[in-house]
Formats: sequence, C-alpha cells, structure tokens
Amino acid sequence: MPSNRRKFLASAAGIGVATTAGCLSSLGGSGSDGTNVGVVYALGGLGDKAFNDMAKQGIDQAIDEYDINYQGAEPSGNSEFPTLQKKFANSNNPDYDLICTIGFAQAEALTENADQYSDQQFMIVDSVVEKDNVASYVFKEQLGSFQVGHLAGLLTQRDFSTGGDGMTDASTNTDAATVGFVGGKENSLIKKFEAGFIAGAKHAGDVEVRSAYAGSWSDPAKGKEIALSMYDNGADVVYHAAGGTGTGVFGAAQERGRYAIGVDSDQSKSAKEYKDVILASMVKHVDTAVLTSVENVVNDEHAGGEVSALGLEKGGVEAVLGQELGSEIPSEVKSALEESKSGIVNGDISVPTDPENA
Amino acid sequence: MTDDQSDAGGKDGADDQSAAGSEAAADAATTEVDDGDIPSWSESAASKIVTASAKERVFISVAAFLASVLVGSVLVYLSGLVVDCTSAGFLGSCYNPFLVYYFLFVDPFIGGFNVALVMKETVLLLFTGLSVAVAFRAGLFNIGSQGQLVLGGLATALALIFVAPLAPGGVLGTLVLVPFALLVGAVFGGLYAAIPGALKAYAEANEVITTIMLNFVATNLAFFLISTYYQDPESGSVQTVAIPEAARLKPIVPFFEGAQFSVLALLLGVGLVAGTFYVLANTAFGYDVRTSGLQAAAADYAGVDPKRLVVSSMTLSGALAGVGGAVYVMMVMARYRTGVPALGFDGITVSILAGNNPLGVIPAALLFGVMKAGSLSIDFSLGVPKQLVGVLRGLVILFVAMPEFFRLLARYTPYGPDADRAVATDGGDDDA
Repeated sequence: MPSNRRKFLASAAGIGVATTAGCLSSLGGSGSDGTNVGVVYALGGLGDKAFNDMAKQGIDQAIDEYDINYQGAEPSGNSEFPTLQKKFANSNNPDYDLICTIGFAQAEALTENADQYSDQQFMIVDSVVEKDNVASYVFKEQLGSFQVGHLAGLLTQRDFSTGGDGMTDASTNTDAATVGFVGGKENSLIKKFEAGFIAGAKHAGDVEVRSAYAGSWSDPAKGKEIALSMYDNGADVVYHAAGGTGTGVFGAAQERGRYAIGVDSDQSKSAKEYKDVILASMVKHVDTAVLTSVENVVNDEHAGGEVSALGLEKGGVEAVLGQELGSEIPSEVKSALEESKSGIVNGDISVPTDPENA
Repeated sequence: MTDDQSDAGGKDGADDQSAAGSEAAADAATTEVDDGDIPSWSESAASKIVTASAKERVFISVAAFLASVLVGSVLVYLSGLVVDCTSAGFLGSCYNPFLVYYFLFVDPFIGGFNVALVMKETVLLLFTGLSVAVAFRAGLFNIGSQGQLVLGGLATALALIFVAPLAPGGVLGTLVLVPFALLVGAVFGGLYAAIPGALKAYAEANEVITTIMLNFVATNLAFFLISTYYQDPESGSVQTVAIPEAARLKPIVPFFEGAQFSVLALLLGVGLVAGTFYVLANTAFGYDVRTSGLQAAAADYAGVDPKRLVVSSMTLSGALAGVGGAVYVMMVMARYRTGVPALGFDGITVSILAGNNPLGVIPAALLFGVMKAGSLSIDFSLGVPKQLVGVLRGLVILFVAMPEFFRLLARYTPYGPDADRAVATDGGDDDA
C-alpha cells in the first residue's frame, strides 16, 4: 500500500510539468531509520510561551541528542484531539514510534485511542491514562508550590521593594506577614498547589495564608476581586493556580503595588505586561516529560502503563524566578530556597498534598 | 457543480407561477406542485435557456474551481520562493503546488481512515447546510444554526445521560436511544430557532441580528449549565460525563473501523436531504416557503400566512441544525464538551455553494469535507504552513461561490449568448 501510494503520487505529481526529483523527498518522514515522534499539542498551539512551547523545547532537545524525526500537529479545537491522535496512530509513512499528547484535555480521547491502537506507544503530560501502552507524566505540584510558598513567606517578612525604570513600584508591607493563594476550581489537583504553598509559607516562619477559589478558570475579574481583597487585608504576595483567572491576580498586584506568583510556565515571559510584579512562577517542566519519554522510546524502554510523577530533583517542577524581579531577590532568600529544595529532595521535609494537613 | 437542471427549472417554474398571481398560488395550496418537471413549455425557447443555463453552470463551477487552483498554485509557488528551507525542490521553490493540491484533493480519498475523516465532516455539514438552505429558501437568513446546533447537542447529551440508567443496552438500546436523541436534538434546535422566527414575525426584529446574538447566548448558556450543574467531576475540561455506550454512533462498516464516522449518520443526512428536497418541491408547505422566499408580498396575497410561515420555516431550519448537534454528540464527542467547531457557520457557506438547493448541499458539504481532511494531510506530510492551506481553501470557496462574476464573464464565451440574459439577470436561484 505505501509503495502504491508513492507510485501514484509520483505519477500524479508528474502531470503537467516535468517535476523535479526533489518532489518525492519533500514528503515527510524521510527515513525509517531514527525514531519517529509525533506530537499533538494542547489548544493554543505553538507560540503560547507555555505548555506547547515547552513541549517543543523537549522535542528540540531530543533532536539534538538522538536521531529523531518529528512531526507536530496543532489542534484548532477540542474536537480535533481524537482526530489528530488517530491520524498519527494510523500513519504508516512514517510509522510513529511515539505519540506525545500534551495536556489533560486529551485524556478522554487518548483513553479510547489507546485501546483502539493497542500496538502504538503513547505518552500524555499532566494527566493519567491507565493503559498498557500509555506512559503518563504528572507533576508533583505540591513540591514546586512549597518552593514558591517558601519564597513568598520569606519575602513577606522582609522589607522588599522594587520599581523605577518604568516599572510598577511594588513593595512588601511589613506590618503583617500575610500571603494569599487563589485557586481556579476547587478540586484535588488544585488543592495540591494550595497545600504545598501553605506548607512552604509556614516553613518560612509565622506567616498567615489566605486561600480562596474563584470557581472558574477564565474569570479574570473574579480573580482580581479576590486578589484585591487579599492585598487590602495585608497580603504581600499572592500565588495563583487559576489559569486565565490568574491574569486578574496580576492586574490586582500592579494596582496595589504588591507581588504575585505565576503558575505552569514562566509567566513573567508568557504574561510579559505583568513581569514587574511577578516574583516567580511554579513551572511544570513539560519539556522534561517529553524529553524523558522520547529517551525511553529511543532506548526501547517505553514506560507504558506507568505513571511518572516528576518532582524537584530532575527538574520536573521548579520555582523559576521572574525575568525582571529575579535579580532583585536577596541572595539569603535564594540560598534559603536552595536549602528547602534539597531538604525536600532528600526527604527531610515532607510536603502535604491536602491543605488540611498543611 | 452545485446546481442541476431540475433546480434551475424549479426556480423558473416557481417564478412563472407566482407571476401568474393568486390563481396559480391558490391552486398550489391544494394540489402538489412538481417543480422538478418542467411543464408544457419545455419544448419552447425557454427550455433552451434552461439547458444552456445548466451547462453554463457546470462549466462555470468547473472553471471557477480550476481558476482557484491556478491562482492558488501561483500563490503556493511564490510563497515557496520567499521562505527558507533545506531543499528548494520545485523549480527553486520550497513548496510544490502539485503536491499541495494532490494532498488537498486526492489524498483524502486514499484509505479508510482518510475517507472516514472526509465523511465525518461532510455528514455534519449536511445538517447545518440544509438548515441554512431551508431558511434561505423562505427568504430568511439564519445565521443562528451554530447556536441551534449547540443547544440541540447539549440537550441531546443531557437527555441521554438522564435516561441512561433506564435504557437497555446493546442493539435494543441503540434502537431506542438514537431516535430519542435525534428527536430531542430536533425539538430543542427547533424551539431555539422559533424564538428569532417569532421575533421576526410578531415584533419585526431582523433575524440576522437576533440569530447572531442567540449564538452567543447558546454557547455561553451551555458553558454555564455544564460548569455549574453538569460538570464531569473527573475532568478539568468543561464537559458532561459520557453518554451511554448504546447511544454512540459507530462506523459499523469494517472499512471505517475506529473512525468518528457512522454510515447510519450518513444515511440519515442523505435521507434528510432527500426529505427536505421533497418537502420544498412537492408539498404545499414547501411551495409556500419558496414563494415567500421569492416574493413575500405575492405569497401573502396568495393566502400564505407570512407570520406563521416565518416561524415554521425557522423552526424547521433549527430542527435540522439541532439534529446535527445530536449527531455531533453521538458520533464525534460521545459527550457534550464546550468548544464545538463552527459547523453552523460553515453551513452558511455550504448552503450558498449549493445555491440553497437541498440536493446541492451534498456536493458542497463533500467539498468542505475533502478540503478539511486534505489540509490535515498537508499538515502531516508537507512542510506547508496551515495558514497558507487556509488561504487555498478560502480561494476555492470564494471562486466557486462567485458564480455571478463568472456568469458575467460567460456572456462573452460561446456558452453565454444573449438569450441567457433572462437567466443571468434574475440572479439564478440564490434567493437570499
């Protein structure tokens, strides 16, 4: 069948003009040697400075290190996830050794496709699909949240201010050692963020943590309202795990001259207009997940059926300091963060996953 | 490609009759009008116009299509000259227009998976294309098919989830649940379209505005209802839980194994096309619809209740879109999930391509389906950017949907003698 198709292709392409020899080589999948990797990106596509761009980074790294043929597909809507996954799985020119699906929104589609294409190796980031041919990569969000909580807790107890050069003037309020957390919807995933953040803040000393949930991932107005009331009640730093709602938190921080902490990707890059109030971001390293999964497939060790929870040690999650403000953060604070990080990695500090235990 | 002779004849026939005034119209209210057949005057000079017109239209469609390919090829070739690539294989250009069009139009027909992709899109567009066409024929511009499809689909999903514990499994379950789901989709889509219909009939609100606005209402209402009351607790996406397995439309034929396409849905779509064509062509209601669309005042004079007709034709249009929503839920997503593709909006283009003729909706929807699957193939096989492929698709549609322009040109070709003026100037049957 593939050879028929090629023949047909050649003759079809030859009609009309004497097509050059280059025509067939312009087809994708130039060779069967090497590892063929397909990536179905999350909504938003490449250029999102978040999940998708990080996934691409992981692929680029893999291409540097191994013999990889890569093909990406950017869905334009929810309903295209199953189609694109199937399209990769169906392809036999090239035959994909691994199909990476980025983001939890692909989980339902993958659950079905993993059954249908039981010989195909898949991986998913940020969700668990319990199938023998799917390697699931999730993040220990509580650990990264602990780190940013620790940072927030340390700074709220200090005199810290930034500004000038066209930046918003911002400072901490030394009267009260208070920080805040804004969640999107209240579910067990986001509670892991909250638990880690509270524990981290408490680790820094006697710090009060206010928590609230906006009930939505896409309500910046609500996020702003919550954050404003937190800032007005003495909070110096507010951490959000609320998707699009978080933009409101950043806006509130700018308005009140306080600080905020971003989530998922380095938001001082992806939400540039707020970089003068974003202290740090709790980054989930999708690139690490993608690179690891490709490495496994190259070494013929696809972790099908396994769930890999990426923590702090191999850079699965990380507190990435802000582009603009990172350099302003005092070095004692940075070294305290390093300490707590190694404390978590070697098990001296245990981080709860439920806010009740924080 | 979209129009056929019977349609052209039908339109001219209807024109003729409405011009004849109340007598013919009143007649038609009681007897069936067969507009597929050209009556006694078929031997007259008029028949020449009609046949010439049919030929002309086929010629025009093909010419338009080829012209779009030609223009597109030049565009692809030139774009390939300016971008950087490792091997500029085609006459110094990075993109080979022949390969691009091969993948756009031929590759979608190779292999069960690709054909299923084409058919999935085609089937869904049959419903929305029909929906828009019916409204068009009644002289109504239903931009709200999207909203009607969304609410029809949502209602279907919720109803199926609600009755799931009561329903039997297996084939019996399918036999009960699928018709039930289609009915729910039709009722909710229809009722939702009846609102702008009633607003138009009784409050003189322009249906273009109301239907556009109701799309937003539908989409956001669906979002609110799901995220507040019917959210699947296991998912981070805004979606309902899955509909019962028995209500899912499966491919049945092994050739399409595993695809999101059902032969049953295709049969339903084609059946609705035939049904709509029959209703419009052969029933008193259809005659009322067409007459109103051509000249509302004449229809009114002939005894058609214009208010009722507006509401009923909008309801029919919405019901068709609602069925599309039901099929979307049962065939594609297996649940309602926010972010429904713009099937309703594409339906407008499909309908216009089809000259608002129900039969024409089939090739028009197929063209959309092929190009959808084709652009996916290009995405996977050639390094041509998605946006450029979007331009090529747009060119094809623009060219094929601009018959007036080509009819004008055709007057200066052997296909368009002066005798054609009558046809050319009445705007064909694109009675928007």
